[in-house]
Amino acid sequence: MNSQTFHLLMNGLWETVYMTLVSTLLGYLIGLPVGILLTVTDKEGIHPNAFVYRIVDVIINIMRSIPFLILLILLIPFTRFLVGKSYGTTATIVPLVVSAAPYIARMVESSLKEVDSGVIEAARSMGASNWTIVFHVLLVEAKTSLIVGATITLGTILGYSAMAGTVAGGGLGDIAIQYGYYRWKTDIMLITVALLVILFQIFQMIGMKIASVLDHRK
Amino acid sequence: MSEIEVRHLSKSFTQKDLKVDALSDININIEKGDIYGIIGMSGAGKSTLVRCLNYLERPTDGQVIVRGQELGSLSEKELRQARMKIAMIFQSFNLLQQKNTVDNISFPLKIQGFPMKEARTKAKELLQTVGLADKAKSYPSQLSGGQQQRVAIARALACDPDILLCDEATSALDPQTTDQILELIKQINETMGITVVIITHQMAVIQKVCNRVAIIENGHLVEEGKVIDIFSHPKSRAAKELILRDIHGEPHGLMDPIDEITEGKKIRIVFTANSAFEPVVSNMILKFGQPVNILKANTRNVGGVAKGDMILQLPADRETRLQMEDYLRERGLDVEEVTD
Repeated sequence: MNSQTFHLLMNGLWETVYMTLVSTLLGYLIGLPVGILLTVTDKEGIHPNAFVYRIVDVIINIMRSIPFLILLILLIPFTRFLVGKSYGTTATIVPLVVSAAPYIARMVESSLKEVDSGVIEAARSMGASNWTIVFHVLLVEAKTSLIVGATITLGTILGYSAMAGTVAGGGLGDIAIQYGYYRWKTDIMLITVALLVILFQIFQMIGMKIASVLDHRK
Repeated sequence: MSEIEVRHLSKSFTQKDLKVDALSDININIEKGDIYGIIGMSGAGKSTLVRCLNYLERPTDGQVIVRGQELGSLSEKELRQARMKIAMIFQSFNLLQQKNTVDNISFPLKIQGFPMKEARTKAKELLQTVGLADKAKSYPSQLSGGQQQRVAIARALACDPDILLCDEATSALDPQTTDQILELIKQINETMGITVVIITHQMAVIQKVCNRVAIIENGHLVEEGKVIDIFSHPKSRAAKELILRDIHGEPHGLMDPIDEITEGKKIRIVFTANSAFEPVVSNMILKFGQPVNILKANTRNVGGVAKGDMILQLPADRETRLQMEDYLRERGLDVEEVTD
């Protein structure tokens, strides 16, 4: 492997890590509050509101049912408006966040709903406000599950970021398409796949490790 | 003024257009310093009732007046303030699993905006009170059920409550641990003057610590009064049933043998202070020369008075039986027939 190829791959690796981490982070900025909103307004939640729940629920379902590749294309005008162009890593972050946010909201909702209703009741009996319950009970008690959810999300976004390579999204997926597929360079294709696998393993390992260290239930 | 006054309280739930009355027209007065028991079979509505006392459940009708304050008239914020003085402990302890004991106990103080350091200091003192000074850094999963309930009690005491509500607080514990926890609750009641309300399905719990008891059946209050009176002279069917069950709440081994016996009459005798130390039953058997079956016997300490009850099967012969009953009554025992 010459240094040019090596440089190409390292650059791709960096772009992939950048896209994945930034998208996940921005995705949580939107998805976490929405997930909390779903948990709180659910009919079993601490402040049931069927109307709000229904609307958010439907929006999330619609967004989640659009395949990522199609979303990627659908959002091109929006991406151009935000970033100024529709290709490259920063532009790819836009559809990644749009697709990650509803997914994250669902992950957060399911984690928060795992929290024992007895503990919530105990907090209410102490005079805790809903606000306190969200920040000092729900998020604290569900932290392990939330971190596991974030790890799974990170893996999913990593996969999506590679998919964005088909539309010149940058990163390892882009390299795999450009060199491996269009130019029949199987070796580069295999290396990008290997790098993706390793990256996925590292994300998974770190995430699970953090979750297990922070978990005091065992 | 009663500490807690419940007036014409009713609570109904609607499940798929079907209205279920969980509680109907409950009236009780709980005085300051009482350890007030509320007993009933599962599904009787006692858990709903205790949740109405701090408005975790909003009654459909009626009033709950705590220390002169009608809870129904309070705003959400005022209600949260009021709840801080009405502590509660639960069957499943309900501790924060991801927080250690000190942080669990500090939690209600944190809600009230206490500085963290002050809260922790107080938490450590309370840990001492409940006898777990060495478990400050432990997490709930590292503690036994009894220890977790002690932490929950310490947490309940953190805000210096006036009232402590116990919702089946000992039901998940073994008999020995149950006794220890009840002892602790009693001690808290005596030393801190906290009014205690105990919800349970176990008569033994009531007898051990309560001074008054309310019996709830199918959402109705069927009997209410001093524990000592209700134990000696239960009037309602529900009260009799609860008393006749085994001390740990399981009706094992008692009802079956009675059903098998076709001859003879079953009576329940209750010992009072002046009779419990005399071997009444053996003396009676010697006097009449007739065998008597003891189907169940159990004596214990009720409110500081030696108390106990036995279920005897007397001979089928009516004459002897009546004489025996008189003999027992003469010796200061309460005698009543047991009907299945």
